[in-house]
Amino acid sequence: MNWSDLGCIAPVVAAVLAAAAVLVVDMVAPGRRRPALIAALAGLGAVALTVLALAGHVETAFDGAYKVDDLTVFLDALFLIVAALTILLAGDYLEPRGLPMAEFAAILLFAIAGAMLISGAADLLLLFVALELMVLPGYVLAGFARRDPYSTEGAIKYFLLGSFSSAIFLFGLAYVWGITGSTRVDAVAAALIEVAATGKIAPGLALGLAFVTTGVAFKMAAVPFHYWTPDAYQGSPTPVTAYLSVGPKIGAFAIALRLLVAALGPVKEDWLPVLVVLAAVTMTMGNLVAIAQDNVKRMLAYSSIAHTGYVLVGLAAYAGGRDDGLWAILFYLSAYTFMNMGAFAVVAALQRRPGVSSNIATFAGLGRRDPWLGALMALFLLSLTGIPPLAGFWAKAYVIVAAIEAGGWPAALAVLAMLNAAAAAFYYLRVVVYMYMREPAAEGRLAAPGLLFRAGLGATAIGTLAFGIFPAVLTAVGNAALVLIG
Amino acid sequence: MNLPILSLIVFSPLVGALAIAALPSSHPNLIRRTALATSLVTWGLSLLLLAAFSVDGAGFQFGETADWIPDFGIQYKLGVDGLSVLLIVLTTTLTWISILASFDPIKTRVKEYMISFLILEVGMVGVFAALDLFLFYIFWELVLVPMYLIIGIWGGANRIYATMKFVLYTLVGSLLMLVAILATAWTHQTATGSWAGAFDFETLQAFAAAGSFGRDFQILAFLALFLAFAIKVPMFPFHTWLPDAHTEAPTAGSVILAGVLLKLGAYGLIRFAIPLYPEAAHAFAWPIIVLSVVAIIYGAIVSIVQPDLKRLIAYSSVSHMGFVTLGIFVFSATAYQGAILQIVNHGMITGGLFLLVGMVYERTHDRTIARMGGLGAVLPLWSTAFGFFILASAGLPGLSGFVGEFLVFVGSFVYAPWIAVAAIGAMVLAATYLLWMFQRVGFGPVSDFIAGLGDHMTDMTRTELATIAPLAALIVVFGLFPGLILDFLGGPARVFLAAAGVGGG
Repeated sequence: MNWSDLGCIAPVVAAVLAAAAVLVVDMVAPGRRRPALIAALAGLGAVALTVLALAGHVETAFDGAYKVDDLTVFLDALFLIVAALTILLAGDYLEPRGLPMAEFAAILLFAIAGAMLISGAADLLLLFVALELMVLPGYVLAGFARRDPYSTEGAIKYFLLGSFSSAIFLFGLAYVWGITGSTRVDAVAAALIEVAATGKIAPGLALGLAFVTTGVAFKMAAVPFHYWTPDAYQGSPTPVTAYLSVGPKIGAFAIALRLLVAALGPVKEDWLPVLVVLAAVTMTMGNLVAIAQDNVKRMLAYSSIAHTGYVLVGLAAYAGGRDDGLWAILFYLSAYTFMNMGAFAVVAALQRRPGVSSNIATFAGLGRRDPWLGALMALFLLSLTGIPPLAGFWAKAYVIVAAIEAGGWPAALAVLAMLNAAAAAFYYLRVVVYMYMREPAAEGRLAAPGLLFRAGLGATAIGTLAFGIFPAVLTAVGNAALVLIG
Repeated sequence: MNLPILSLIVFSPLVGALAIAALPSSHPNLIRRTALATSLVTWGLSLLLLAAFSVDGAGFQFGETADWIPDFGIQYKLGVDGLSVLLIVLTTTLTWISILASFDPIKTRVKEYMISFLILEVGMVGVFAALDLFLFYIFWELVLVPMYLIIGIWGGANRIYATMKFVLYTLVGSLLMLVAILATAWTHQTATGSWAGAFDFETLQAFAAAGSFGRDFQILAFLALFLAFAIKVPMFPFHTWLPDAHTEAPTAGSVILAGVLLKLGAYGLIRFAIPLYPEAAHAFAWPIIVLSVVAIIYGAIVSIVQPDLKRLIAYSSVSHMGFVTLGIFVFSATAYQGAILQIVNHGMITGGLFLLVGMVYERTHDRTIARMGGLGAVLPLWSTAFGFFILASAGLPGLSGFVGEFLVFVGSFVYAPWIAVAAIGAMVLAATYLLWMFQRVGFGPVSDFIAGLGDHMTDMTRTELATIAPLAALIVVFGLFPGLILDFLGGPARVFLAAAGVGGG
């Protein structure tokens, strides 16, 4: 290891140090929220600086196990945004319930460190370690409300199925390593180009591929590996749900990009059929089950499964031969971050008073009780539906363009995705119906949320509104995708 | 003229909406007047456009082009021909009338209502002015949200069911349309090797005219677009959302639904679906003609038995819009002009009928035909107006409704006589359901229900008269001088038929 290696993983190191700093602050001033919050935000600022410093660099570190390129920086920035939004939105929810801010922020920062390690990982083993680093804090966060049985139940389910899937993933990696003889991603890719040239895929490699895909599909919450999602999402404290619905999901897709695309790209025809089926089943199941939900958090959990399906359409388009699918994935994930975190933020705002459920009835008359919160929720839901000109619309449009370009099965997926989007409108708009077309159950305005919360909510709203038409974003996404296409 | 007049027309309602958003909701009258003033300004601008439009000019006029998403060749491109000018003026006219007609009936959340209505106008005018397929789609979807709110918040008892049905039906069609639009652009991109102009309607039309879209592709793309537009028109059997939406919407919402929203579908067929995929349009012409005739007759028969005034008019719309799709798909200049006339007339006549039914509803809080009776004695002015619009709707010669249907008959008679015979049969049915309804409502002894309302039954107010009078005047003017409209349609008809591959005649 030398200084340049350290420079490459500076964001990861900074995130770990920031987490440690938050814990130290908590020791100095135990139980005080504000110092912990300031330390966490300052730490995130420092991480942001290191990410900015890396922008534009293309370097490898640790003998090629870790890479810094535009994709790394892009994903790092996205994780950073997720972490910052989560911390901003969490305060108002944790405080009334007496949950500690410092521990929450520290655990979250540890998770983000793991996620950032994924974004540049160029080695199978490192990928696995990074994945575990990202998800282990996630289990803790899911069970963060220790006294809430639902939180504990969700955490246990998440933990058991998560560890199970990690093991499967590792098992698959072992096969890939055994067949190709290396753990470095580019060496694997080189070995696979030869395999692809022979036109015959070894049974061992097929098995390895299947296991790896299964492991990743678990983390993405793709059907039929989604069973942990509804319980974990519904049970977790709402800000944690907001984080879980985007952070680990982006992480899982980062693995897909780094591993499936970069390493297993040469044999992509072999996994196209799997992806097509996975995408079709995931979005259809997610949407159909979401329609039947009366709990908004659970509904959003199934909706997040459906969105995984839409992103998988982009991956299928890539496997079908269109590289545009990759940048559509990156765009989708970024847009989804803003609109989905925004939707969860409104749920969290409603639940500010402990004991308020996330049942859809809670939303009755929200448009009158709090016009701003109602309008923002409507904005996020319309964006999730895919109504132009909001972020969600562009995300869907780009994925579909890629799928149509690929032709064949991905093009059929595009049609299915749009039919799904129409079905999804039903459950998203149902919330709007409650907000604007039903009388409020409880009269009186809601207590105004705190300043930080409002800042976080505002950021998600601006992202949802302006993301699609912001050319700089498109360029950044394009550059990041270019790394993979080469 | 270098003034971007189309952009001004499209976005002036948005300016008004933003201004209203800044006003305090405790001053509903100020909000109402601002909304009316905005819509009148937009209307004035559209009249300027109408005056400046050159009937003899070829192609699209008042074009505005700017790059929007150059990576995909998506442009902000507006332009109008004779057809779109007419529809834009129809839209702006009906919008201010609707806003004026909402002054009294809408008493809750006036601010949100007026904002929704003005944004709705942005979307509607935008659809008629857009010449970029992507932009068109955006405006198309923009129409959906305010209408969803207008029906769902200010509608009748069963409004939530109606508005969800409206949204879901429309969305299924429009999302498939998005796929078709993207596929069309992609086909152009692969053929030319660049995204430039891939969403530009004029480029694509030239591309289609050269026969560059393969037959199989045309069939799929046409079907997707057709489904989207057929749901909006609505054509039988995709019409079932319409009676619910019309019945539950507030009066002004029904006026706009019937007057403009249904026309979006017909416009989409004429502007995009047929010129871009002419081969597929011809392949499906017969089934569509048959569906149109079924809609004409079915709509009329179902209208006869409707117990609810609004529902009756809603089903009569299905029948009337059948004439429009029939006129489009027999591919003749006469029928085309008849179809467009029918579009404009139906907007004015049905809009007027909904306004008049709304007035009765304001006074009685009921629309059941069986409970009415003898309104002619109680509300003489209202009954006169109602009778006038009913006769216009039934196609009385001398009023505008007649000319459009007549031209469609002539055009389709040339195509296949039996169609015209079947459609003319429906005119008898139309006279039946309209006049029978008028008889039950307007004539006879005053019903106990109406008598029981006593002093509530006051005749039309000045405001109400102001909403009805312009429409009535236009119906007479266009009935006597249909040339005023037809002059605008000569050019578009030639272009349409050439694009549809039926000679340049």
